[in-house]
Amino acid sequence: MSKTYKVKKVIVKTEYKVLAALLIILAGGLVLLPKYEKNSGIKPEIFLKNVISTERYVTTDLIADKIIKQDPNLLLIDVRKKEDYDSFSLPNAVNIPLAEVLSSDSEAYLNQDAFDVVLFSNDQCYADQAWKLCNRLGYKHLYVLKGGLNEWFSTIINPKEPKVTDSELAFKQYNFRKAAAMYFGVGNATTTTKVKPKKVIKLTKKKKKVAEGGC
Amino acid sequence: MGPLIPNGVIPPEWNFVIAILIGIVFGFSLEASGFSSSRKIAGVFYGYDFAVLKVFFTAALVAMIGVYYMDYLELVNVEELFVLPTYTWSAIVGGIFMGFGFVVAGFCPGTTLCAAAIGKIDAMATMVGIFIGIFMFSELYDFIEPLFDSSYLGRITITDSLNISPYWFIFLFAILAVITFYVVDVIRKRVKKVFY
Amino acid sequence: MNKLSKIKKNSHIYWNPYFGGLMLGLVILFTFYVTGRGPGASGAFKSTIVTVVDDIAPTHAENNAYYNRFIKKGDSPMNTWLVYEALGLLIGGFLSGALSGRLKLYVQHSPKITSKKRLIVAVIGGIAFGLGAQLARGCTSGAGLSGMAVLSLGGFITVLSIFGSGYAFAYFFRKNWI
Repeated sequence: MSKTYKVKKVIVKTEYKVLAALLIILAGGLVLLPKYEKNSGIKPEIFLKNVISTERYVTTDLIADKIIKQDPNLLLIDVRKKEDYDSFSLPNAVNIPLAEVLSSDSEAYLNQDAFDVVLFSNDQCYADQAWKLCNRLGYKHLYVLKGGLNEWFSTIINPKEPKVTDSELAFKQYNFRKAAAMYFGVGNATTTTKVKPKKVIKLTKKKKKVAEGGC
Repeated sequence: MGPLIPNGVIPPEWNFVIAILIGIVFGFSLEASGFSSSRKIAGVFYGYDFAVLKVFFTAALVAMIGVYYMDYLELVNVEELFVLPTYTWSAIVGGIFMGFGFVVAGFCPGTTLCAAAIGKIDAMATMVGIFIGIFMFSELYDFIEPLFDSSYLGRITITDSLNISPYWFIFLFAILAVITFYVVDVIRKRVKKVFY
Repeated sequence: MNKLSKIKKNSHIYWNPYFGGLMLGLVILFTFYVTGRGPGASGAFKSTIVTVVDDIAPTHAENNAYYNRFIKKGDSPMNTWLVYEALGLLIGGFLSGALSGRLKLYVQHSPKITSKKRLIVAVIGGIAFGLGAQLARGCTSGAGLSGMAVLSLGGFITVLSIFGSGYAFAYFFRKNWI
C-alpha cells in the first residue's frame, strides 16, 4: 500500500495525465469541428408565426393621427422606387427602395430601438416583403401600413361619407378623416408633398439586448 | 433555445428560485474545495497550496469550453450572453485593489460568504470590510467617476481584441493551463510546507 | 464518539481541486444557459449597502449618482438575482461545512499573529476588495470567472491584475501567513 503510494507521488499521476489529455482534446475539438455558417436571424417556426400574425398591420387612421400629432417615435419608410417617392410620399417619410432593404445604410433605419418604423408602398405587397426580410433578421418595432398608399387615398384623402344608418363611430371616424384630409391638403393629393428627410441618428450597431448583469 | 429565462422557456418567476439553487451549488463547491480557509487561499501567493489557481482555472476552462460547445450545438447563442463590458483602466486599478485585498484578507467576496457561513470570524470581519469598501466607493463616486467610466471599449471579447478565433484561443488556453498546473506542482514540492 | 473524532480528523480533507474546478465550471455553465449571464458575489454586498443607505438617508441616496443607479421606485434594491444567489451561497457553504464537520466559530490565523491582528487585516483587506470590486464592476467570481467564461476582455484584464498585484504585494504580508 505505502509502496504504491510512494510510486504515485514521484511521477505525475496517470489519472492526471489522462485528465489533462481529455481537457486538451475537448478544447482541440472546438478547433477541429467543421465550421458552418450559422443561420443568422430567427428560427423558421417563429418566422412563420410572425408572418401569419396580423399584428404588424397598422391602419391609415392611426398613422394619420400620429402624423398630425407629430409623434416623435414614428418613422415612415417608403419602400417604393425612388421615382415614385419623388413624385409623392407621406410627410417626412424616408425612401428605402425594396431592393436596398438589406444594404448597410438601411440597417441604421430598420434595426433600431428608438422608433416605431412603418413600412408602406402603393398597396401593401412590397411593404410586406420588406417587413418579412427584416423580421427574418430579427429586427424589431417594424409595422406595415395596411392597404398602403391606395388605402391612404381612399380613406384619409377622399373619405367616403357614411350612410345615415351607420353607427356613431363611423361618423366620428369620418369627421376625423375629413379633418385629417384638411391637414394633408384636400384636392392637392396629386401634388408633391414637400418631404423633409427625417433626421435619424445613425445608431451604432447594437447587439441583441442581453441580460443585465454584473456584480 | 437558451438562455432559458431571457428567451421565455422558463417563466421569469422561477428566476429567484433558480438563483438560490445555483447559489447553493456554487457555495457548496467553493466550500468543499477548501475556499472557506483563508490560509489555504493565501497559499497560492506563497507557493504552499495552489488549490485556488487549480480550481479557478479549471472552472474557467470548463465554462469556456462548455459555452462554446453549447454555442456550436445552438443550445445558446454566445452573442446573447452577458459579457462584462471592458473599461480598461478601471479593470486594472480595480484588480490591483482586489489583489491587495486578496493577499491581505485571504478572501474574496464569494469565499468570504462561504467561510462566514461555517463560522469563521475572520471571514465575517472581511465581510464588514467589504461593506465599508463599497460604502467608501459610493461616497467617493463623484471623485472616482472619471476613472470608473474611462477607456470604455464596450462588449468586447479577448478574441476580438487579439483578432484570433475563440476556438483557437480556448485550445491554447487549455494547453497553457495544463502546463501551469504541472509547474505549480513542481513549485509546491520545493516550497517549505505550511500546515494549517 | 469514535465517529465524531473521525469526522474531526477528516475536516481538512477537501475535494480534489480539479474536481472542485469542474463542479464550479459546470455551475457557471448552467447559470449562463439558464439566465444568460454568470454568477457573481459582490453584487449582493452592493445591494445591501444601497438598501441600508436608502433606508437611513433616502435623500442622500437619491442625490448620490452611484446609489441612484440601483434604486428602483417601488422595489427594494435587495430584490435582485445576485442577492438570492448570495443567499444560496451562504446555505451551500453551510451545508458543505456541516457535512464535513467544519462548523466552528473561531478566528483562523497563522500561529505567528494574534487573533486581533488577523481581524484587523481582514477588515483592511475587505475594504480594499470592496473598493476594487466596484471599480472593476465585479469580483473574482463576477468579473473573473463569469467574464473569462465568455472570453470578456475586461474579465481577463481583471484576473491578470488581481493575481499580478496579489503576487506583488505577497512579499510584504508574508509574516501574516507563513
